[in-house]
This record gives sequence, C-alpha cells and structure tokens, in this order.
Amino acid sequence: MRNLLAGSSLLIALFIAGSAYAHHSGAGVDRTKTVTVEGIVKQFRWANPHSWLEIEVPNGKGSTDIWNLEMTSPAFLVRAGWKSTSIKAGDKVKAVARPFRNGDPGGIFVSVTLPDGKVLGEQATQPAYLPVP
Amino acid sequence: MSKSRIARRVAAAAVALTFLVGVSDLTAQFQPPGALGALAPENLAKPRPKPPFDLTGTWLHGGGPDNGFRFTPPPGLKLTPEAQVHYDAARKAQSEGKVYRDDIGQCWPAGLPVIMTRVWPIAMIQLPTAIYMISEFMNSLRVVYLDGRPHTDPDIAVPSFNGESIGRWEGDTLVIDTKYFVPDHHWIDSGIPGSDALHIVERIKLIDQGKTLSIEYAFTDPKSWEGTWNITKRWRRVDERDIAEVSCLPDLNDHMPTTHSDANVR
Repeated sequence: MRNLLAGSSLLIALFIAGSAYAHHSGAGVDRTKTVTVEGIVKQFRWANPHSWLEIEVPNGKGSTDIWNLEMTSPAFLVRAGWKSTSIKAGDKVKAVARPFRNGDPGGIFVSVTLPDGKVLGEQATQPAYLPVP
Repeated sequence: MSKSRIARRVAAAAVALTFLVGVSDLTAQFQPPGALGALAPENLAKPRPKPPFDLTGTWLHGGGPDNGFRFTPPPGLKLTPEAQVHYDAARKAQSEGKVYRDDIGQCWPAGLPVIMTRVWPIAMIQLPTAIYMISEFMNSLRVVYLDGRPHTDPDIAVPSFNGESIGRWEGDTLVIDTKYFVPDHHWIDSGIPGSDALHIVERIKLIDQGKTLSIEYAFTDPKSWEGTWNITKRWRRVDERDIAEVSCLPDLNDHMPTTHSDANVR
C-alpha cells in the first residue's frame, strides 16, 4: 500500500539536514513529500552513524519490493523513545518516509507504526541540544 | 695503531653513525631524534606558563544564527580555474537535485575544517603539551601540539585529512597553525576542494563564561582560491554527552541508498 502525502515543515527538514545527513548528502530524496508503506520488517540495524530499516512491501505485481529506510543515529533515536529492541524482523509495520525522486523503493525514515500501534519517529520531544548563541 | 687502521675505524664509525641517524629519522617522523613525545611524563612536567583556559570537555557545533555547519564561501571569493571547474560541476549537480563528489558519504574522512562541524560531538582533552580532539564522527583524531615543537620538515611530513596542528598561546587566545593536507578527496564545501597547499590558522577563545567555544578561521589555499577566507564558528559544551565508536563501513553504505544512488555525481 502506498499513499503519497504532500508537505513537510521547514523545521523537520532542517532537523533532518542537521542530523540524519551528518554522514552524507541526502541528494536524490524528495523532501517535499512523504510516502506511507505497509509491510513486514526484513531487517533492522541499530548502528552508528546511521540505523536502517528494511521492509518487504507488496508491490501489487504479486511480489514484494524491499524498502530501505535510512535513519539517524541511535543517540537521536534514544531521545525519540527508541530501543534496539523496539522493532524486529517479522513485525508487520506501517512506515512513513521521504521518498527517492527516481521512484526507487526506499528513502529517509520519518516514523513507523509498530504492531501494538505505538508510533516512533526520529525527533525527541525535547530538543537534544540548544543552539549555540 | 697505523694510519691506515685509524682511517678504517673512522670510516666504519662514520658508516655506523650515518646508519643510526638514518634509522632515527625514519622512526621519528614528527619529532627530531631524542625529542620527547607529547605524553612523555618528563615533557608533561616541564615548567610552562599556566594556559588561559582548558578546552577539556565535550563540544558540539550546534548551529544558530550565522553559525551554520557548512563552510559557505564568502561572497566574491575568487576561485582558481582548477577549483572553479569543481564548483561549477557542484552547482550543476545541485540544480539537478544531485550531489557532486560526496566523498564523506563514500567513507573518505571529512578532514579539517569540516570534521569540526559534522553535528557530532567532539571530545577535547587538554594537556600541557597537546590537545587531543576526537570527533565522534568517524572517531577522527586531531592532535594540536603545544610543547613548542615546530612543524615537521616538509620533506618528511605525511599529508593527512586533518593536517598537522601546532598551537601556541597568545594572551587569552589559542592560535593553531595547521598544514600538510592531502591533495585530493578533501573538500571545504561542496565543489570547493582543499589542496595540499591548504593552510589554516585558527584563533580559539572561550566565551560565555566558558560555555561557548569560538573559532575564527583563516583559510588560504593558492591552488583553490585567491586571498584569505575568514569565517567564525561556535560550539557549546554538552556535558551530558560522551562519544561512541562511529565507523563508516561498506556494508552500512549498502543500506544507505543515498550514498550510491544516481543522485551522486562522481
């Protein structure tokens, strides 16, 4: 299942630019859109500098696509309520991501709805750091 | 002892001395033979003036007004023809929604100055003889020597991404002179290469009752631009943070489509 949702706040874009992309450029990602996919978790890796999530998503052609979602570092994820055990292979989830412009399955992770209905994103409820004056 | 026997002994001693000096040079790339390392107790214990501040702590470049994490060139900076080619290619890639030579995404070290503003904390440990700076990002190590040693002879210096840093105290300011950078895969900003002629002078102050670190940078690189490029950045103490092991790995990038998508222009 795939629903394109338009729009995002500048704040979110700036947050992503300042954290998830600290390792590399996010060129090729359409930051003006989000896409929602549902599927089965294939792998989840809790790692520095980036965690990542692979989901097997039915593609409507009788098979599945592997959606590879790039995440920020565990230091930020912990502040957003994550643990390394929050998600595991086999979980049925719904994930929101910022998609690739070229249509390849995958993108930059925004949030995931877990089997128990809990939603985990990348942003802490409190800013991790105050800006330098 | 005959004259010929004395001559043979002198010659043998000269050969031995040459060999020993040669070995010493090879094993003391950054220190002359007999000099003490920065962590030698005898070096640490030498009497020195009390430094005006101690950078020991964990620091994070946190953004804020006029404090972006990128080293954006000043208006009017005139690039050399060689650098302009890269700059134009980067702007073209950007206009197409792509990125030009994102070497950091390919696991090349960020290098100075970019490593200082990667939005990852930097652990700094200040000793009387040196300051050790370890960025959490890629655990990049930078050592600033304060024990009075000069820069290494250019004929034996090994170029690196963070260069060779020699510091000295000037009043309330720490002045760091850094050179000997690698000639390639090192960028000051997208499309602006840092060459092996890059020379960086940093003037570091502690402000805001020691909570803020300010660095005034002066970049020169006659192979990439004309004149001096000045820019100032600020960091905040993050006492609640430590740094972890962070490595850029091939199998990690296999799961980072942005690092190998067709949006990457090499």
